[in-house]
Amino acid sequence: MSVAVMKTKTETALVDGFGEIADTLPGGGSVKSARAAALARFAGNGLPHRRIEEWKYTDLKGLMKEALPVVVDGESKTTIADVIVAMGAIGRLEVPRFVLVNGHYRKELSNLDGLNGVSVAPFAQALSSDDAAAALELREEDRGSDAVLALNSAYATDGAVIDVASGSNVDAPLLVVHVRAGPTPRRSVGRNQIRVGEGAAITIVEMFVAVPGSAADGQMNTATEVQVGAGATVDHVKVTTDLGQVTHLANWLVDMHGNATYRAFQYTAGVGLARNQVRATFKGEGVKLDISGAFLARNSEHIDTTLFVDHAVPEGESRELFKGVLDDNARGIFQGKVVVRPDAQKTDGKQMAQALMLSETCEFDSKPELEIYADDVVCGHGSTSAAIDEDLLFYLRARGIPLDEARALLIQSFIGEAIEKVQHEGVREALMIEAEAWLAARSKTNK
Amino acid sequence: MAAVQETIDQVKKIDVDQYKYGFETKIETVKAPKGLNEDIVRFISEKKGEPAWMLEWRLDAFERWQTMNEPDWAKVSYPKIDFQDLYYYAAPKSTEGPKSLDEVDPELLATYQKLGIPLKEQEILAGVRKQGEPSQIDEDADGYTNMAGKVAVDAVFDSVSVVTTFKHELAKAGVIFCSISEAMREHPELVKKYLGSVVPKSDNFYAALNSAVFSDGSFVYVPEGVRCPMELSTYFRINEKDTGQFERTLIIADKGAYVSYLEGCTAPTRDENQLHAAVVELIALDDAEIKYSTVQNWYPGDKNGKGGVYNFVTKRGDCRGRNSKISWTQVETGSAITWKYPSCILRGDNSRGEFYSIAISNGRQQIDSGTKMIHLGKNTTSHIISKGIAAGRSENTYRGLVSAHRKATNARNFTACDSLLIGDKCGAHTVPYIEAKNASAHFEHEATTSKISEDILFYCMQRGLSEEEAVALVVNGFVRDVLQHLPMEFMAETQKLIGISLEGSVG
Repeated sequence: MSVAVMKTKTETALVDGFGEIADTLPGGGSVKSARAAALARFAGNGLPHRRIEEWKYTDLKGLMKEALPVVVDGESKTTIADVIVAMGAIGRLEVPRFVLVNGHYRKELSNLDGLNGVSVAPFAQALSSDDAAAALELREEDRGSDAVLALNSAYATDGAVIDVASGSNVDAPLLVVHVRAGPTPRRSVGRNQIRVGEGAAITIVEMFVAVPGSAADGQMNTATEVQVGAGATVDHVKVTTDLGQVTHLANWLVDMHGNATYRAFQYTAGVGLARNQVRATFKGEGVKLDISGAFLARNSEHIDTTLFVDHAVPEGESRELFKGVLDDNARGIFQGKVVVRPDAQKTDGKQMAQALMLSETCEFDSKPELEIYADDVVCGHGSTSAAIDEDLLFYLRARGIPLDEARALLIQSFIGEAIEKVQHEGVREALMIEAEAWLAARSKTNK
Repeated sequence: MAAVQETIDQVKKIDVDQYKYGFETKIETVKAPKGLNEDIVRFISEKKGEPAWMLEWRLDAFERWQTMNEPDWAKVSYPKIDFQDLYYYAAPKSTEGPKSLDEVDPELLATYQKLGIPLKEQEILAGVRKQGEPSQIDEDADGYTNMAGKVAVDAVFDSVSVVTTFKHELAKAGVIFCSISEAMREHPELVKKYLGSVVPKSDNFYAALNSAVFSDGSFVYVPEGVRCPMELSTYFRINEKDTGQFERTLIIADKGAYVSYLEGCTAPTRDENQLHAAVVELIALDDAEIKYSTVQNWYPGDKNGKGGVYNFVTKRGDCRGRNSKISWTQVETGSAITWKYPSCILRGDNSRGEFYSIAISNGRQQIDSGTKMIHLGKNTTSHIISKGIAAGRSENTYRGLVSAHRKATNARNFTACDSLLIGDKCGAHTVPYIEAKNASAHFEHEATTSKISEDILFYCMQRGLSEEEAVALVVNGFVRDVLQHLPMEFMAETQKLIGISLEGSVG
């Protein structure tokens, strides 16, 4: 049903604000026209709202109250120490990092030593190349209909372009850290591109964090394109622990080629409004895909995970496991659509979404969806939501463990099951510490 | 896992071109002119001899309908329906009092014969004798001697309820079972109180259309504490060309009452599409239980998708009282397009909703069906078992909603959806919506195309069964469990009707 909807103040600002900064955005003539075209696509659609099936539970039109200004000049006060603190437990890992502050690459905060077979460059620099417009365009046609992606193309300032040479095996995880800093509420628009050559292996961690003391408000629109070459193994982790009432819109667009292994993990906590979208397409046979995640929400936080797994070719395997802990008035959303196209025989797909509800007023909406057109497949999904099991609590308390501790133990083990999916030991342990800190803060406020 | 050969063969057997009920009965009918406007609504109301309040109710619904748009969210596609190119009222011309079956229009008798209605009931249906009068047919002549499994039938032919059987026996128990037009005349207070209280006039596009033009349907009222002595049943048949059938069923189980209701449908083979837009409302008061079973076998169209019935139905039950229970069981084998979501509003504390469904699509059929379980009261429970089998070039979608509201503490739901694809040209989809707004709500949902757990298989095989036998054993147990929710009389018919073993549907 098409309903004509009035343009909101935010939408008008998003369209009108473009002209003011268009000249300061990176890229030459062809990039500029590509940006203008993307903005026109957005202007045509407007922000997605609840009448659009994919956005049923996250009415961005209603939820996004304003359009903050995009940072065009880098802010320079942020120090390495700030970045390390903002990164939390992962900051303790001594690994290569590519740091962006408010959407702009900061060389002096980054450290790319010891990366062999990997080249990392700022996206802004890529936009000045000859085929720059092609770099900005998102590849698939249907991606053009996504208003959030259109906004990303129009406004993208910077990001990381990572090329992993065929056959190289990179031990240390590479961190791409998007830092929000400064007292003024800002909007950042980032674009990353990851291209992993045939048979290569790498772990990439994308982080979205805020320097303590930053404005409570902020907006982030980030998109990452991933090309996983044949036989390559990619571990892709996203850690979103930004502070305050941030609106965080993230897209991962992943193409996986023959016999590749792609393992994704998304950790989200402490974000006012988050929409994590992953679109993973099977481009070659024998691909193994695992998308997992953990989300922790309290107050009136709203965390939405939307997956689109496209089994376009035969013999693909997909696994999804998402676990959420919801407290106060928080709302968790899981939408997982798995499509098995007519020729994608021997597909093996499994999906599970579970929510642990800690308060009477939280909400979990789940929509695991299967669309299957091939007959020789094994596909399944599950979804559960419930409070902490009283029997388990009783069992622990009967062994002398205090109530709070017993509860924390159970939540930890629940969320731990998802975090276990992270392959890199250091990152996994750091995430476990993050989750524990979240729980500790919870029991502190409950006392 | 691929389907076992046996299942594939059996599905092939019920290929759409072999639709058994595709005959047409040539009977004189009274029709309203084609098209829909206020005058048609008035015409229908007048034909039915309805009170003024009913006409107003219809006109209001019609007004609202005109402002509404056809829903397009379901995973079905069909050419746009021209609502002005349909007949909204068709009724068999009544033949005044034939003395014996010999005088009855043989076409009509043949219809009943084909539908498998026993001769003694045919007498009543044809108006040869009235309820309670002795039959002219010898008890044994038609082999209809076993009166233990009595089923009261309300037959709806095109738009009109032809007759209702066993009315008097039911009346003895205090049960009212009649056509809804009769109920409007005889029991206006009940109709007024409950009609539209579960499915409001403007609930959705098709419900509004139905509210404006519904021509007949069944009405059941089971008084406090009464267990309805027999199964109640309605048989629907669309006969006329280009006719829309809009029936309305209203069932009320008063405190502590119990009723089991069956519904069956067939239609002749035609090249044009026929529209069926029914509304069913169930109301269960304190401690009451309603069991509603459907075997839907409308004409599905031929194998190229020509013709067939568009089945756009709104069915909803309201567990209004404490400890009430509503159970939907459906076997969907027919219709070109099915758009149907029998739902339960679990309003009363401790109420329970159940949904058991077997949906089979073949040829070019499209099914988008499922249920809604809306938990409002405390300690409410719901159970959903859905099995979809898609063959040919059909599309079979399960779409369901389970929601628990803030105050629905301790709500429980378990949902299991299984789909089986036979052939690589069809599609099976699962679209569940699970909304928990309450921490004590405990929701579990699972959907698979290979349902049997490895553990169970391992256990069976450990005891010497082959894998095939083990699968058959587990599936058999499971299917029997679903079929068991159908009343005895229907079970046999269902098995014959669908002509398909469900073995392998979860394998």
